[in-house]
Amino acid sequence: MQVNKKFIAIFSIVMVAMLLAPSLQAKQTGISNVESGCTCHSGSPSSDVSPFMTLANGSALPDTYNAGETYSLLVGFTGGPADTEVVDRLNTGGFNLVAAKGTFASTDDSTQLMAGQLTHSESGNDQTSWAVDWTSPASGTSSFTLTVNSVNGDEQPSDADHWAQSTFTMSSMGGVAEPLEDADGLTVLFSAIILVMMLLFVAVVYIFYRMNPDGFSWAAFAPWIADWLTSTDHKKIGTLYFVAGLFYFVVGGVLALLMRTQLAIPGNDFLTKDEYNQFFTLHGTIMIFLAAMPMINGFANWIVPLQIGAKDLAFPRINAMAFWLNPVASVLIMSGIFSSNAADVGWTGYQPITSWVGTHPGATFWIAGQIMLVASSTLAGINFITTIASMRAPGMGWMQMPLFTWSILVSIMCLFISIPAFGIGLIEAFLDRTVATAFFNVSAGGDPVLWSHLFWYFGHPEVYVVILPAFGIVSEVLATSARRAIFGYRSMVYALAGIGFVSFIVYGHHMLTSGMSPALRFVMMVTTMAVAVPTGIKIFNWLKTMHGGSLVYRTHTLWALGFLVTFTLGGISGMFFPAISMNTHLHETYFVVAHFHYVLVGGVVFGLFAAIYYWYPKMTGRMLDERLGVIHFLIAFISYNGIFWPMHKLGLWGMTRRHHTYFLQANEYSDVIGTLPPEAAGWNMFITINAFIFGLSSVLMIINMIVSLIKGQKAPADPWGGWSFEWLTTSPPPTPSFDELPTLIDVNVHEEKEPNWLMRMMVPDDQEEVSN
Amino acid sequence: MNEAMNNTIYSAGSLPIVLVGFAIIISGFLIWWRQDVSFEGHYEPKSAGVPFKNIDIRKVGIWVFLMSEMMVFSSLFSTYIRYRLGTESCQAILDNHSTFSNGVPFTPGDACWIPASYFIAGSHSESWTLSLGGFGLPDTLVPGAINTFALIISSFTVVMALQTAKREDLDADERSRKVRNYLAATLCLATLFLMLKMIEWFIGFNVGPFHAPSLMEDGYTIHNTAYPFAGSGHGEEHLTANLRLSASTFYVATGTHGAHVFGGIIGLSYMTFKAHRGGYSPSNAVSIEYFGLYWHFVDLVWVLVFPAFYLY
Repeated sequence: MQVNKKFIAIFSIVMVAMLLAPSLQAKQTGISNVESGCTCHSGSPSSDVSPFMTLANGSALPDTYNAGETYSLLVGFTGGPADTEVVDRLNTGGFNLVAAKGTFASTDDSTQLMAGQLTHSESGNDQTSWAVDWTSPASGTSSFTLTVNSVNGDEQPSDADHWAQSTFTMSSMGGVAEPLEDADGLTVLFSAIILVMMLLFVAVVYIFYRMNPDGFSWAAFAPWIADWLTSTDHKKIGTLYFVAGLFYFVVGGVLALLMRTQLAIPGNDFLTKDEYNQFFTLHGTIMIFLAAMPMINGFANWIVPLQIGAKDLAFPRINAMAFWLNPVASVLIMSGIFSSNAADVGWTGYQPITSWVGTHPGATFWIAGQIMLVASSTLAGINFITTIASMRAPGMGWMQMPLFTWSILVSIMCLFISIPAFGIGLIEAFLDRTVATAFFNVSAGGDPVLWSHLFWYFGHPEVYVVILPAFGIVSEVLATSARRAIFGYRSMVYALAGIGFVSFIVYGHHMLTSGMSPALRFVMMVTTMAVAVPTGIKIFNWLKTMHGGSLVYRTHTLWALGFLVTFTLGGISGMFFPAISMNTHLHETYFVVAHFHYVLVGGVVFGLFAAIYYWYPKMTGRMLDERLGVIHFLIAFISYNGIFWPMHKLGLWGMTRRHHTYFLQANEYSDVIGTLPPEAAGWNMFITINAFIFGLSSVLMIINMIVSLIKGQKAPADPWGGWSFEWLTTSPPPTPSFDELPTLIDVNVHEEKEPNWLMRMMVPDDQEEVSN
Repeated sequence: MNEAMNNTIYSAGSLPIVLVGFAIIISGFLIWWRQDVSFEGHYEPKSAGVPFKNIDIRKVGIWVFLMSEMMVFSSLFSTYIRYRLGTESCQAILDNHSTFSNGVPFTPGDACWIPASYFIAGSHSESWTLSLGGFGLPDTLVPGAINTFALIISSFTVVMALQTAKREDLDADERSRKVRNYLAATLCLATLFLMLKMIEWFIGFNVGPFHAPSLMEDGYTIHNTAYPFAGSGHGEEHLTANLRLSASTFYVATGTHGAHVFGGIIGLSYMTFKAHRGGYSPSNAVSIEYFGLYWHFVDLVWVLVFPAFYLY
């Protein structure tokens, strides 16, 4: 019962928060204050004042309007104290006019525009009617809300003044039937959230039911769900991280497909400019912060304690807190998308646009959400660094740690040291937006390039933060699949550490065109080129591992091999950017898009897919279906290259990124700046088709995971012949993760104690098809 | 566009949602503390392996956390150094006959740098030689100086609390009482620090011969675009300077430090309460050490913030 009470308390707090949330001013006008504009004199409206609204010539307001036409209107009132008490016709009244659609213009000095609403000015105080101009919208019904004050002339707002409010409407001439009222963005957002919560609840109940169909009871459900919500077990939190990451992987993918639909043909109008800006901002933010990093954290949570032989992470409760900051942050980052007011600043949030008044209010929430993610990453960093530094099993020195754990350590170190700079930059930007500090305000002497420095000091290590774990995964997968130890273990560790160190001194190559000093640009050019050295060492070590071993082609092996190809290609295109002259030419083109998708999708996502196929049996105790896995790999690998390879060409032609559309040259001789050769249209359509194929192929993997979870073959403790500690426990592992802490001993000693131990690495041929 | 940027203040939210947020945070703290208050130190896991062998794992965690904190203040100092060195000082422009060093004439409302020390040291308005009987110490530096000593003494008292809690020779009651007193002294000094900071920012200082207006009254605010800067010894000449950048840098950097002190106050309140209930014994005294590490760090940051923002 204790648990139930706590659960109810937390749930009711969340509910109260959601009820109060609409008072958040997510819209510029303020949700609780939409039509208040007027400072109405006295308490309730009076019936003796009657507002009117006519055309300027005095004829009645027509029922319909012509789209885009400007109407001269006359608004005013009759009756009230202004008519009966004021003798000299001074200080007689005021008005406020709000239109649901269309725009107002002030025609003389008796009226003024305030936040899109029209109201009287100081000099308009002495009138009882005012002339206004209204330009009609393209379509729809516009309702006008007119509020008037009839004033008795004593210059004091008091009960002696009277006021009234009326509504007038005009509809568009003929055409498409429009709903009477547009959906309110926040209503849609909260409806969507409630809908998603209900669907999520049904899904969770279904999972609970499937686990034990015969013993299902509601009494057992509450403790089960409370255990997931409050668990501090590293495996459960790892699963939560992973599921959250996978969910946002789908969300980011859908955004990408919407953008690709827009770009399929030149001059398309599927998305507006405004929508496109928000979509690419959220696509970038979601894919890096809400998809890739949680999924990596999921694997790190699951595997690192198992690989180093620890029962759990050092600070389990901090681990839970680091995760639970994520869902809240993701809601903040996404907020505004349903009311078309989400952040539209790019995932880099360049200044001064992020601190500019014209940026959507969603940018404030986007920054707030990112600050929470910074907190989450810091907490996770403390946890992992402490765990790896102080909780290794007896006998496991630094140079005996598996490479995946090494890669997590180096990547978390990079993240941990760099992310405070990002956090401080975000706080400065947040204060710029909320209390008008002047950090990035050019007119007050602020320097937008400072943001670029703070951001990229974090941003460049960040891309290594997501790629290094993929290196670790590929090292594990290739060594296991080649049925031998990794070639050049020490050089692999030094290369990882080298990449981690170099990542801090190369970030300037993102800013070569931002007006940095030439000396600094030259330094950044040289250091950036140096990144290729440790990366090259890793690539050759992987090749040599396969060369000396005897490769088994599992699905995870295929993904690792695919990673080698695509990551190397991405690395080669990356070598174009440090060259300053080349960078100036290629900056902000699709060549850049092609490059970083080759390393982020071909590197990180392929690595994560390999990890899913490799560790899924360990996590769930069920084997994945190999045949579906191979089909998934083949479709995804081919369509992936189909998406991003042609982008190199488009970039060289000058197609710019972050633009919602593009236009073609009329013929090969016309040379209008910014237009593309005619064949660019075909390539863009080709890319879009491939993008949809790639997106659909991921559905295969999700289906595979769900079906295998329910009726997959039971997995043995060590299905692939891996030799690190995680394969020593059962699949899935117990809680705490080891019944007895393992001890790492030398291979030869082990072989003496337990003859044929080494043979476990060599899976006999007749046992190879474990999954079928 | 610039005009719009200057005048826009976004409304970040409204009171109810803030209160809900506070309620959630406070309930989280209470639950955490309720579980900790009975902690007797019977299970304090030790680190294994190089390089932290046999050191408490929680202590390793605190040191790692301080590494991140170091980067937080490094970033703030980077911002400060960038703007301090990259923005011309108002005094230099005034001395140069209202002209920037590149020859562009200064127009009213342009940004230039007036360090906080100019207002804190008091040389702008008061005749600062009058204070301290003509010794020439700038007057409003007094609260800053008190603050510096308050933090250094509080670092000492927290160490004394740790040392006392570890003493086996005292009986439990006397030890608890002493530990509580030392922690309460630390708490008082931390509160004194924040109080003087508020006085310095908003209220103004007026005790005996030491008196000076607050930074608000001086017009050193993040919104001030027209500060009449007269410099030293120039009579009628003055600049109408935009102070937003130097004020932003000062308030956010010292404010972040203040936020850390505030976090320490929350932690200290709980620890004083726990000590009052007799919760600290030699077996779990290390908890005080973990807090002490953080507190020393906050102290050390002030030792850097003080010369950078108050003296220079």
